[in-house]
Amino acid sequence: MAQRLALQRLLSLPTRGPLASHGRAFGTSAGRRSTFNVQDGSDFQDRVVNSPKPVVVDFHAQWCGPCKILGPRLEKLVAKLEGKVLMAKVDIDDHTDLAIEYEVSAVPTVLAMKNGDVVDKFVGIKDEDQLEAFLKKLIGA
Amino acid sequence: GKNEYDLLVIGGGSGGLACAKEAAQFGRKVAVLDYVEPSPQGTTWGLGGTCVNVGCIPKKLMHQAALLGSALKDAQHYGWNISQPVHHTWSVMAQGVQNYVKSLNWGHRVQLQEKKVKYFNIKGSFSDPHTIRGLTKAGKETVVTADNIVIATGGRPKYPMHVPGALEYGITSDDLFWLKKSPGKTPLVYYSYIVFIKIIVYICLIRVSPDVSLECAGFLTGIGLDTTVMMRSIPLRGFDQKKQICFTTQQQMASLVTEHMESYGTKFLKRCFPTKVEKLKSDRLQVTWKNADLDKEETDSFNTVMWAVGRAPDTKTLNLETVGVKTNSETGKIIVDASEATSVPHIYAVGDITEGRPELTPTAIAAGKLLAQRLFGQSSELMDYDSVPTTVFTPLEYGCVGLSEEAAVQRHGSDNIEVYHAYYKPLEFTVAQRDATQCYMKMVCLREREQRILGLHFIGPNAGEVIQGFALGIKCGATYPQMMKTVGIHPTCAEEVTKLHITKRSGLDATVTGC
Repeated sequence: MAQRLALQRLLSLPTRGPLASHGRAFGTSAGRRSTFNVQDGSDFQDRVVNSPKPVVVDFHAQWCGPCKILGPRLEKLVAKLEGKVLMAKVDIDDHTDLAIEYEVSAVPTVLAMKNGDVVDKFVGIKDEDQLEAFLKKLIGA
Repeated sequence: GKNEYDLLVIGGGSGGLACAKEAAQFGRKVAVLDYVEPSPQGTTWGLGGTCVNVGCIPKKLMHQAALLGSALKDAQHYGWNISQPVHHTWSVMAQGVQNYVKSLNWGHRVQLQEKKVKYFNIKGSFSDPHTIRGLTKAGKETVVTADNIVIATGGRPKYPMHVPGALEYGITSDDLFWLKKSPGKTPLVYYSYIVFIKIIVYICLIRVSPDVSLECAGFLTGIGLDTTVMMRSIPLRGFDQKKQICFTTQQQMASLVTEHMESYGTKFLKRCFPTKVEKLKSDRLQVTWKNADLDKEETDSFNTVMWAVGRAPDTKTLNLETVGVKTNSETGKIIVDASEATSVPHIYAVGDITEGRPELTPTAIAAGKLLAQRLFGQSSELMDYDSVPTTVFTPLEYGCVGLSEEAAVQRHGSDNIEVYHAYYKPLEFTVAQRDATQCYMKMVCLREREQRILGLHFIGPNAGEVIQGFALGIKCGATYPQMMKTVGIHPTCAEEVTKLHITKRSGLDATVTGC
């Protein structure tokens, strides 16, 4: 799968598959546009790897307590940025291969992705100040 | 040509994963195949095998849930103001347990990745002694070749196929731990009282030890469900000579455990066997059975019928005949020698799938690791299956290590054996006014000079924790005089082991009193 992604980027292939046609977003009205749940591998490819805007990827799990705290906290801050950054949520039980591919071992793991590359990352819970700095760096850099 | 992998393990359970990870430590190219065929009821689960998903882990957690229920009842005597009766919500417990199991599935997946073991979620079967053909859930085919292959596919619960309705309407332990709703109707919202939920667990005690069924019936009763255990026969006198697992068909210990369950509300239908299961309009299940003692047919309705009639090795779809791996004609399990080798060179087997081995996680893990060390690590150490301690997690737990009394008599003759025993009362039971009638322990020793301890059996709270330490002593060849010289920790239940002095032979009353 990693090879396919690399190859696609190399050949600059156009995005394939339905564009976020069945993506579920939630949160505030601003959040509704900027946060979505990844549906499958090609959805990740379309909306994260090939995203023109930087994307924050939140790898989480049902059974992970800290994830339930970090998720909403991060969403709120992403929503405040009014579309400058998008947030993709990946349930690692539903998308195990994707999580393994991106070397997730513990959850929550959050990746900052720009132009298909992982430019930043953190594992575990962070407070609002830390998250704001993380997001600022992603937009600024 | 050259085989793709140095080692291919079929089965991602306790034995399989341990073997694979150990082999990878030696820098070998290793792959694991894991696939869960959904149960007849459609239940499925992730990586980790029986123990993690439908065995030890969820069972112990639900046992704990039941114990907490008892603790809540005791709490009043200790001064806590808790309004009785206290109710239990299955879905809350189930979600907690299932979430933890899922975190273990993930943990195993990460470990394989970290140790550079390739993982395939495919159902494998042999094409030739070094080639496995695998099918994904979607039906896509993959072919994998390896120098060495380890079969560790474990077992699945059996169904009493001769009972009409058994397959369609009954569940097994595979399903019980994954139920989202209580194994009975959830209380109907528009009634002002709780609908009683009735479950029946049928166990057939001819060849198997009753632990899974009694453990499940135990915690189901403990969380407040109306539970009945039907058994074809009462626990047998005999024992399985080959296995020599201390708890196998130990009549005395099994009857104490079931006596305790009976006094705490589990109903028992002894010497009965089911003849059919039918579904009623109300969605309840009508079970009809033959009562051997009264020689008549009886019937009753239940919300859930659970079968606990033993486990069958998962070998049917492996295509073992093609490569010539020999299995035991009666049990279907794979025959292995002391080095876990099958009848075919370079093909091995570990865990529940193997004939004559205990169906336990720790032995599977140890055997898997040692096998990898022998294959790739220049070791010659074989797995020692002697004196394997174990525990049955019934409401009153039964832990043991070493020989059963019957096995010791068979091996050495009753004249050469001394059995020390005692009935005791855990201190915690006193204030709580709990009945300790079945709290019992016995130690089987050789009678000659050294008086080596052959086996230790303990029924009581935390039996597993108690027996673990003594297992080391027995492994080291501890003797009765050494045990008597060991000072007990006070006040504990375990200390009573160090004070055992009344022999069965003397016929004296074995009830000990506290200090």
